[in-house]
Amino acid sequence: MSDKAAKDQEQKIAEAEVEEFAQELGPFVIAAETTRMAMVFTDAREADNPIIFANDAFLKLTGYDRDEVLAQSFNFILALGASKEAIAEIEAAFADPSEEGPEIHYRRKDGSECWASLFVNPVKDEQGVVVQHFLSLVDTTRHKTAQKNAAMLIDELNHRVKNTLATVQSIVTQAVRNSQDPEAVRESIETRIAALSRSHDLLGREKWDGTGLHDLVRQALAPFRESEGRTERFRIEGENIRLSPKATLALGIAFNELATNAVKYGAFSNEAGTISIEWTIESKPDGRWLCLHWRENDGPPVTLPKRKGFGSRVIEQGLAHELAGKIKLDYLPKGIVCTIHVPAPQAVLDG
Amino acid sequence: MLVLMAIEDMLGDLGCTSITVARNVKTALDFIAANVFDLATLDVNLNGTRSYAIAEALKDHHIPFAFATGYGEHGVKEGYGDRPVLDKPFSQFQFEKVVSGLLADGVHPPLAV
Repeated sequence: MSDKAAKDQEQKIAEAEVEEFAQELGPFVIAAETTRMAMVFTDAREADNPIIFANDAFLKLTGYDRDEVLAQSFNFILALGASKEAIAEIEAAFADPSEEGPEIHYRRKDGSECWASLFVNPVKDEQGVVVQHFLSLVDTTRHKTAQKNAAMLIDELNHRVKNTLATVQSIVTQAVRNSQDPEAVRESIETRIAALSRSHDLLGREKWDGTGLHDLVRQALAPFRESEGRTERFRIEGENIRLSPKATLALGIAFNELATNAVKYGAFSNEAGTISIEWTIESKPDGRWLCLHWRENDGPPVTLPKRKGFGSRVIEQGLAHELAGKIKLDYLPKGIVCTIHVPAPQAVLDG
Repeated sequence: MLVLMAIEDMLGDLGCTSITVARNVKTALDFIAANVFDLATLDVNLNGTRSYAIAEALKDHHIPFAFATGYGEHGVKEGYGDRPVLDKPFSQFQFEKVVSGLLADGVHPPLAV
């Protein structure tokens, strides 16, 4: 017989066997046919375990039609998309069915990747000879994907926690370096950690997708505005541009330094001073830039500091390095002007 | 950002005269190709990308380097197991020990870049 004729013959035999099943077992057959759990019967008397029955759920799971599956070796079906390890596991399951079926990684007909738990059970005749195998498969793709995502999230969480700890350590080290006075050290540590924490609050609110620049500025200034009716002494102007988490943390710290300085020496250290913060995105020949100006007015007369403190280092160097930007602190007589230019791709989401 | 500044301070304490910072793979590769450095510290995760291309370049240019990572020692890929790893947060003492080790391994005499 030719190969095709042989195959057709096998298929007819397989279909006849299924027909025989249906007639003998009635309601069980209907159950097997309609259940959403993928089920397959294979002939153990043939070397390659051909499929003699496959329910609709199995066809749905693998993406094949019934006539593509019947009389084919079970291994063949999954081998079309399964890894060598998976095939070895399947063969082992046939040879020695145990309680724990293997979890196999395979591809459907359309090429998509799937995971399934495979349970193989021998079917014996009255003499105890294995005549068939009954297989059921449970699709675990969603579970596997959820596991992978969870693992990635936990990894990311660990990474962020470590970074935060390293940042706090830097805050402490700097505070101790810059002052001998325990009170000043304590205040320095507390206010900076508080600023860091506020930025985390903002990030957490939006699941670390980013934050709005307007929200960030308002929030950075919030601790400084409550007392003595300072609210009218602020002016914040600019769109709520979406910032990356990195830019959020860096700018949050920088704004905190500027505001702290304003209260100690600048526009908020007297009754009359005001601060205006405004920004735009500008298109220049070398790309888009976020341009932000912090301008203080009517504070006490500004004198050039004899020594650049940690705060100005954070603003002029730290921020510049972190966001690849150009930062300038100008000590103009009428008030400090801080100019922040950052390449949009460094800080702005979809920048 | 503050972590970087702290590292700069630590390097300053050790007598470092010049520090160059690269935030992404391309900038780092450009710097390495155009300059001579005594040593480098390399964050395993640079802005979301793994930085092993930079490790390769540092190796090719014989620049001693250490990894810095928040993922612990297992965060460093195979093939680089012989490189020192600074697990964030690290103390000044740990940093100084690693940097002294890198300088001892170094091929070039100290140069101000």
